[in-house]
Amino acid sequence: MLRVMIVDNDLERTKPLKQSLLDTGYEVIAHLKDTVNLDDACCELRPDIVIIDTDSPSRDTLENICVMTMHQPRPIVMFTHDGDKEQIKLATQAGVSAYVVGNIPNERLRPVIDAAVARFEEFKHLRTALTEANTKLTERKVIEKAKGLLMKQRKIDEEEAYAMLRSMAMQKNMRIAALSEQIVEAAQLLL
Amino acid sequence: MSNNDKTRTVLDSTSVDNSRRDFFRTSAAGAFGAAALMGLVPTSIKTNAWAAGSDAPEITEVKIGFIPLTDCAPIVVAAEMGFDKKYGIKIIPAKQASWAAVRDKVMNGELHAAHILYGLVYGVQMGIGGQQKDMSVLMSLNNNGQAITLANQLKEKGVKDGRSLKRLLDNENRDYTFAQTFPTGTHAMWLNYWLAANGIDPTKDVKTIVVPPPQMVANMRIGNMDGFCVGEPWGARAIYDKVGYTVTTTQDIWTDHPEKVLGTTADFVAKNPNTARAMTAAILEACKYIEAIENRAKVAKLIAGKAYVNTTEEVIEGRFVGDYDNGIGKKWKDPNYMKFFNDGAVNFPYLSDGMWFLTQHKRWGLLKTDPDYLAIAKKVNRIDVYTAAASMVGVSVPKDVMRSSKLMDGVVWDGKNPAAYAASFKIKA
Repeated sequence: MLRVMIVDNDLERTKPLKQSLLDTGYEVIAHLKDTVNLDDACCELRPDIVIIDTDSPSRDTLENICVMTMHQPRPIVMFTHDGDKEQIKLATQAGVSAYVVGNIPNERLRPVIDAAVARFEEFKHLRTALTEANTKLTERKVIEKAKGLLMKQRKIDEEEAYAMLRSMAMQKNMRIAALSEQIVEAAQLLL
Repeated sequence: MSNNDKTRTVLDSTSVDNSRRDFFRTSAAGAFGAAALMGLVPTSIKTNAWAAGSDAPEITEVKIGFIPLTDCAPIVVAAEMGFDKKYGIKIIPAKQASWAAVRDKVMNGELHAAHILYGLVYGVQMGIGGQQKDMSVLMSLNNNGQAITLANQLKEKGVKDGRSLKRLLDNENRDYTFAQTFPTGTHAMWLNYWLAANGIDPTKDVKTIVVPPPQMVANMRIGNMDGFCVGEPWGARAIYDKVGYTVTTTQDIWTDHPEKVLGTTADFVAKNPNTARAMTAAILEACKYIEAIENRAKVAKLIAGKAYVNTTEEVIEGRFVGDYDNGIGKKWKDPNYMKFFNDGAVNFPYLSDGMWFLTQHKRWGLLKTDPDYLAIAKKVNRIDVYTAAASMVGVSVPKDVMRSSKLMDGVVWDGKNPAAYAASFKIKA
């Protein structure tokens, strides 16, 4: 049975990964935040594989463990340097790095990595969707503000203000939100 | 190299009508006036156009990785102060969370180049702890300006230098833990060298761990380590936060030691020789700017920002101009503070500097056998690219590709007999 250790500050992201690994019969021996005790945890728990976010600062700690144990009976090698190229690329894009102990055959590791990649991807999509929703909301707010400014300055109603924004944006080949932002910025400077 | 800054153009980044403005070569005032008429206030970006030609950069937007440290300044200054534009490129500094990420992203092309630990580049070249890849050092970014910090508890036990640390270790029966920043990197080598020069075997007498630089001080505060070796400002920060004191600076281990480099893959240089040269020139000019003491306050302020080192300006500035305080009562003006230029002596990729890291990798067992030291250094350190860039900037290049230095233990390293040098140390793995 492979003993998996997950290191991620974002426990929300890796919780589903942990669950899916448990469901498929892997042993998840630890689920840590980026931790100051990573060295001790690795020594005590002796994971076969460590799954970690590519951009985690704790990666250098693992690199050291790899090098320090390189010439000993239980070497840790970085998985993503051994596996096939396509898989490495997918993992990197998803933000998954994995450190693997010793000579575990690729077919035994693959399901763990695949699960991690899938969960990280899923999380990334969720986050992108959230960012998009937030951007839309911010844009709507700024358009409202610009409309308000035009209404006040030009003494026109809301519909006219919006029509004005739209035609200005079309003339300047800009998005209404971008134009609104400039109007609001300019107003802050000038009014 | 002709200097094509006659065709000055003002590009308005907020407008989509750039092509028309370029066409009419609108003056700065004109463009601003027109924008103002429309009631808009654009943020203008000033660029010097670079004439396309056989030596035009192949890639003009260059993503360069860095770790939040004082010596990332050349990358930041080259980008923020427009030295990049002068050489026809735009440098985009990209902050990284770990050296492992820097390495991986440089290797897979996500970053075009990076501010990297000298030893790390050679570690990758030799395939230590990971995949081997042919690497290139385009220039050295700085000398000096790192330090070894000990936790305040050691002060109470009377440790004020290497000798008293050795005495403590001999008399106390507990594990002492020291942190550095990357197994093949520079701080690992400074820490090991210093411990060994004081009779302490870093592979047997202490436990060594790796902690990311920005987390060193916090880790020391909670008692996770007794000492660490890291680049500034984190040594100064430990004193500022009253958790530790400086037991030695790295310039006192090796005055004017090599430290960070501008590194990339050999593939990148082969495919983009003009971009490689342009970024080296831009960063060399930034180094020259930073070297001037009158510019340092401004640079300290710039790099202290959240996007870069993310710390208080005063923590960076003191040691940045040579004002040292070891935190246990000694204050001094250090003539060997962090150097970025020194008439180009800092930046030249001396073969002996590169070879030194290989000798230490061998010494500490990271390399099992002696490599062909000279051949590897000749391949990695791109003196050709550096020399071409230096001539664009008007910086002279030393005649000798080796330099001679005497380290803290009195041993001289001059690039000759590297295998014998690596084997000569009493304490080794």
